[in-house]
Amino acid sequence: MTNKENLLKGLVKENPLFVSVLGMCPSLAVSTSLENALGMGMGVLFVLVMSNLIISLIMSNEKLAALVKPVRIPVYIVVIATLVTIVEMVMHAFLISLYNSLGVFIPLIVVNCIILGRAEAFASSNKPLDSVLDGIGMALGFTAAIAIIAIFREFLGKGTITVWGNLVINLKGAFTFIGIEPIGMFVQPAGAFLSFGLILAAVVAIGNKRKEKLAKGAAK
Amino acid sequence: MNSGLKSGLVLLVLGIVCGTLLALVNSFTAPVIAEIEEAAQYDALKEFYYDIEDPNYENFVITSDYDIDKLEINEDGVEGIFVIKDKGSDIIDSLGYLVYANGYSGDAPVLMLIIVEEDMDVIGYKVVSHKETTGFGADIVDNDFNVSSLIDLSGFDGVAGTTLTSNAILECFNIVAGRAGDDFGGGLDD
Repeated sequence: MTNKENLLKGLVKENPLFVSVLGMCPSLAVSTSLENALGMGMGVLFVLVMSNLIISLIMSNEKLAALVKPVRIPVYIVVIATLVTIVEMVMHAFLISLYNSLGVFIPLIVVNCIILGRAEAFASSNKPLDSVLDGIGMALGFTAAIAIIAIFREFLGKGTITVWGNLVINLKGAFTFIGIEPIGMFVQPAGAFLSFGLILAAVVAIGNKRKEKLAKGAAK
Repeated sequence: MNSGLKSGLVLLVLGIVCGTLLALVNSFTAPVIAEIEEAAQYDALKEFYYDIEDPNYENFVITSDYDIDKLEINEDGVEGIFVIKDKGSDIIDSLGYLVYANGYSGDAPVLMLIIVEEDMDVIGYKVVSHKETTGFGADIVDNDFNVSSLIDLSGFDGVAGTTLTSNAILECFNIVAGRAGDDFGGGLDD
């Protein structure tokens, strides 16, 4: 696999959220605004890239890998938990409003299946550079997916899109135009499942159409 | 050496390295976090000394109108006391108590700011931090608990279904009621 393929596979082909359906708990919980989604994405990017790099470095050394193999899951957890705690402390100190919005979902990055999954399935058996590229691609794919859900939910639920801090795009005019109020349910937990289901259905439909087109092209 | 023992040692070394790294990061984030928490407490104080509806509210700095000393206490449920005096005056205008009591989330107590005057009238109160359950206890922390004086707390309005959180808040008022008289009477000088 080339470096480019390694980087890009996480964005669409193996998107952790829309294809593998991993890491759903934080995705549904924090996608009430685009700002929260981007904040969570940044946290996951840092943790995923660094954990992939560290685990790959450890496992690239044959002698060390032999020693670590029997205790590899505790080793992954220690590395990931350390990185998540660093993210939590830095966010608490320098991004307090984001820290308060994300709340308990920052420490829960430790048990995000995407991070542990990539450590075991990819970083432990690939070179450090490949692992870093895989981490960047997967984290960007996760961020893009969670951002799409957040935009969908925030627009329908509040009629706004909070990009960052005070930068809020007000789209309430669209609701005024059709004569209804924003549908508050979309920023509630039930709205999270509904939004995710609708977006996933759309992604699968687009994927199927594409496959059909490719199959037709091959038949001709 | 037994290979299991060697693996355990590797894990131990990794734990030490990670612990050291966390201590290093903590050494430069902890002071910033402490500053933020103190600023949040001063912001909470500001709400009771300036009209929140006023357009200049954001620019109002409470220390420009009042002299405020914070006493670190950390005993009997009291974390600290803000001694608030009019600018340049020696007479205490009011005392702001940072008090805590255990609610539903036992490990993280409910921390309240309660501001009282010498006649035991309550100027205001606010839950500064808590980790009560979202959808239950967390929803009542901004309630009006019908407390305007510490002389008689029998009118306290608890909320059914969130007994432990309500009790923690009542306990905070009781702590202040138990010591505010002494503190205004010179107890703080000790």
